[in-house]
Amino acid sequence: MSSYDVVVVGSGPGGSVTARECARAGLRVLVVEEGERVEPGAVPAYSLEQMRRQYRNQGLTVALGRPPIAYTEAACAGGGSEVNSGLYHRPSAELLDAWSREHAVEALTLPDVEPWLGTVEDRLQVQGRAGELPPASAALARGAERLGWAGLDVPRWAVPGPGHPEKQTMTRTYLADALEAGAELACGSRVDRLDVHDGRVRGVVVAGRTVTSERVVVAAGAVQSPALLQRSGVPVSGRGLAVHPTVKVVAEFAEDVNDPADLATYQVKEFAPALTLGGSASRPSLIALALSERGWSVAGEPREAWRRQQVYYAAIRSRGRGRVRSVPGFRDPVVTYRLTREDLALLRSGLARLMHLLLAAGATRLLPSYAGAMTVTTNADVAPAAAAMTRSRAALMSVHLTGTLPLGERRGGVVDSWGRVRDVTNLWVNDASLLPDAPGINPQGTLMAIAHRNVDRLLRGDG
Amino acid sequence: MPDLGEPAALTVLTGAGGWFGRAWLRAHAAPQHRHGPVPTGRVRALAGSPGEVTGILEACPGAEVHVGDVVDPEVLQTLFAGAEGAVVVHAAGVIHPRRVDEFARVNVGGTRAVLEQARSAGVRRLVHVSSNSAFGVNPTPTDRFRHEEPFRPYLGYGASKAAAEAEVRAAHDPGTLETVVVRPPWFYGPWQPVRQTTFFTMVAAGRFPVMGSGAQQRSMVHVDNLVQGAALAARVSDVGGDAFWVADARPYPMAEIVRTVAEVLADEGYLVARSRLPGAVPGGRRVPALVARGAERLDRLLQSRGRYQQELHVLGEMDKTIACDIAYTRERLGYEPEVELREGMREAVRWCRQRGIALAPRADGAR
Repeated sequence: MSSYDVVVVGSGPGGSVTARECARAGLRVLVVEEGERVEPGAVPAYSLEQMRRQYRNQGLTVALGRPPIAYTEAACAGGGSEVNSGLYHRPSAELLDAWSREHAVEALTLPDVEPWLGTVEDRLQVQGRAGELPPASAALARGAERLGWAGLDVPRWAVPGPGHPEKQTMTRTYLADALEAGAELACGSRVDRLDVHDGRVRGVVVAGRTVTSERVVVAAGAVQSPALLQRSGVPVSGRGLAVHPTVKVVAEFAEDVNDPADLATYQVKEFAPALTLGGSASRPSLIALALSERGWSVAGEPREAWRRQQVYYAAIRSRGRGRVRSVPGFRDPVVTYRLTREDLALLRSGLARLMHLLLAAGATRLLPSYAGAMTVTTNADVAPAAAAMTRSRAALMSVHLTGTLPLGERRGGVVDSWGRVRDVTNLWVNDASLLPDAPGINPQGTLMAIAHRNVDRLLRGDG
Repeated sequence: MPDLGEPAALTVLTGAGGWFGRAWLRAHAAPQHRHGPVPTGRVRALAGSPGEVTGILEACPGAEVHVGDVVDPEVLQTLFAGAEGAVVVHAAGVIHPRRVDEFARVNVGGTRAVLEQARSAGVRRLVHVSSNSAFGVNPTPTDRFRHEEPFRPYLGYGASKAAAEAEVRAAHDPGTLETVVVRPPWFYGPWQPVRQTTFFTMVAAGRFPVMGSGAQQRSMVHVDNLVQGAALAARVSDVGGDAFWVADARPYPMAEIVRTVAEVLADEGYLVARSRLPGAVPGGRRVPALVARGAERLDRLLQSRGRYQQELHVLGEMDKTIACDIAYTRERLGYEPEVELREGMREAVRWCRQRGIALAPRADGAR
C-alpha cells in the first residue's frame, strides 16, 4: 500500500462522511474496515444470519456490570447504518445547548449544526412513511391514542422499494460517493494500532505493516475508537461510555402483527427524552429465543404463533456511565457499565408504562424480558411484573453507544470541539464517541451532521 | 366549559371528620368561587367516631351526622336510607393506621361496602377519593403522572388505594350508578390534622429535613382546590368511569415547600429558626438522601410484618418526586385551581392560630 493524505479507520456513518468529503476535496483517501462488505439486502434484515455476518462477535457483546448490558456493534462496510432501523430524529436545540454548556463545545448550537442536518437529510432521503402503518406500529399508535400519550411515526432514511421501503445505508450513499470520488476501501482489515511518535501519527498498522498517511481519522465507534487510541499509547481513560439501556417485552395479540420484513417505526414520545417506547426487530428466531425458557403454550397453530407476537422496548436516558479498557493480549476491550438506582427505577417505570400501553392496544399476554418474569395478562399484573425486575434479574440491552471521547474544551478532554486529538497534531476522531451523551433519540443523524461539521473544519486547513 | 348535570338534592359524605371531609362540609355551608359547583342541598355525613362530631358540626352546622364504621352494612343502610338520586362523596379511608391490615379492611372493604349500598339505594353518582400512592413515585424529578398511568402502589396504603380505585372504576354502570375517581396528592390547608401541625412545628424549629438536593418535586393540593375538583366530578356530565388528578396548578420543589412554610410562619409572627433550617437558606445544611432510603427500607420491613410507623413512612418518601399532570382534569372537568402554595399555607397557619393550636413561639412573646 502506498501513502495517503487521509486514512479513515472505520466505514460507518462517521467514517463514510469523512471519507466522502475528503475524497471530494481531492485528497487521497483510504478507508480501513475490519468487517466484510455485504451488499444491502444480501442477508435478511434483523436475522441471525445478519448477526453472524455484520455484527462484531456475531452480536454477542456485553458490558459487564450489575446488571450486565448486552450491546451490539456492527462490524461491516457501512457500519451501524447497514443493520440499524434507519430512524431519523433531529437533535433538539435544548440537547445541543446542554452539550455545549456541559462540555464547553464551540459552535454546536442548532443553528451551527442545522445546515449539516439538511445535507444529511437530502443525501439519505429522509422521509416519513406514506400510507398505513404496518400492524406492529399500528398497535403502538392505537395504545398511545387510547391513553392520550404522544407519539409519532419516525421518519426513516428510506426510498420506496418493491413492497417495503428500502432503507438507505452508507454503502448505498456516502461510502458509495466516497469510492466514486476516488477513495479506496480495504475491507477485512483490522487496524492493530496507530503509529504515533512525538505528537504525530505517521499511519496505521494493519497486519504488522504500517500504511503511512498525512492524517488519520478514527471512526471505529464508541467502543473501538477509544480502545484503538489506548492500544496506540494515546492517554484515553475510556470512561464516559453512554448507552440507552433498554428493556423488552414480547407481546401477543389476537390478530397478526408481525411482518418480519418491516419494522415498527412508531415511537411513543410522551415521556421523552427520559423514556422512549417503541418496537423492536421481531424475526421468528428472535421471538423463539425470547420465549424459549418460558414455555408459553400456544393453542391451535403453534408454528405460526410468531405472526401474532411482536417485541417492544422501553429505552431510557441513563445517568450511569461505562468504561472501555483495552487489555494487552486480548483482541476486544473490556467494557463495563454502571447502572444507577435512578436508571433502574426509570427502567421499571418504563417497563410498566410499556405494558400498560400494550394492554390498552389489545395485547392478550405479555412477557417482560428478565429472568423469571411472570406472564402479564391484566392491568393488575403490571405493577408486580415491573417491581420484580431487580438488578440480579434484569436482562438489559442497548444500541446507541456514545460518550467515550466527548468533544469540547473541558480540561482533561482527549479531543477538542472539532474532534481533533489534543496531544497528536494530525489525528482526529469522528464518530459517535464524540457525542457527550446518549441523546434519548436515534443518534445517527446527529452524529453524521457533527461529522460533516468536523471534517469541514479539517478540510479548511487547520490540520 | 363542560356541561353540568342537575345538582343533587342530597349529598352523602363518608370520612366527614377528616381533613377533606370538613373542608367539603365548610364549602357546603359557606361556598366560595374557589369551590366550584359544590352542592348546597342537604348533606348527610358519616363520622368514624363520636369524637369527630363536634368538628363536623363546626364546619357545617346543618349537616345530618351519622356515626359508625364505614365497613358496617347496618351503618351504611341507615346512611343511604332514601338516598335515591343522591351524590355520594366517598372520602373515608385510613392513611396512617397502627396496623397494616387496617388498609385492606377500611380502604378496600369500606369502598366495596359503600359501592354496594350506594347501588342498592339508587344513588346517581359516586365520587371516590383515591390517592397518588396508588401510582408510586415518579422515576425522575421532571416526570409527571399522566391521566392514564399504570398502578404501581407504594407500600400498603398505595396497594389498598389502587385496589379500591380499580373496584370503583369497574363498578361504573351508566344505567344505575355512575362512578368518578379523584386522585389528590399531599393535602394542605385549613382543617389540618395533627400530623400537618407537626410538619409546621418541625419547620419552625428548623428540624424538618430536606433530603438530598431538595430538587425532588411534590404535587400538593389545597383542600379547597380538591373541593372544587370533587364538586366538578360530582356534577360534570359524561365523565362516569373516569379518574382525575386534582392538584394545585403546578408541582413544587420540596425545598420550595419547606421554605414557603418557614417564610409564612415568620410573616405570621412566629419565631422561625431560619439558620438551622436545612435547605431553606442557600448553602444550608441538607440531609443526605441515604437517610430517606434507610427509612424506606425499614418502613418496608415493618410493613411486611404488619406494623406501621408514621414518621418512618413519611421520612421514607421525602427524597421522592411525586407529581402529577392535571391537564386532562382541566380539559374534561373544567377544573381551575385557585389557591396557590403561599396563600394556602397562610390560611392554614391562621386557621391553627385561630384555634389556639401552638406551632412555635410568637415573635412578640405572646402565647
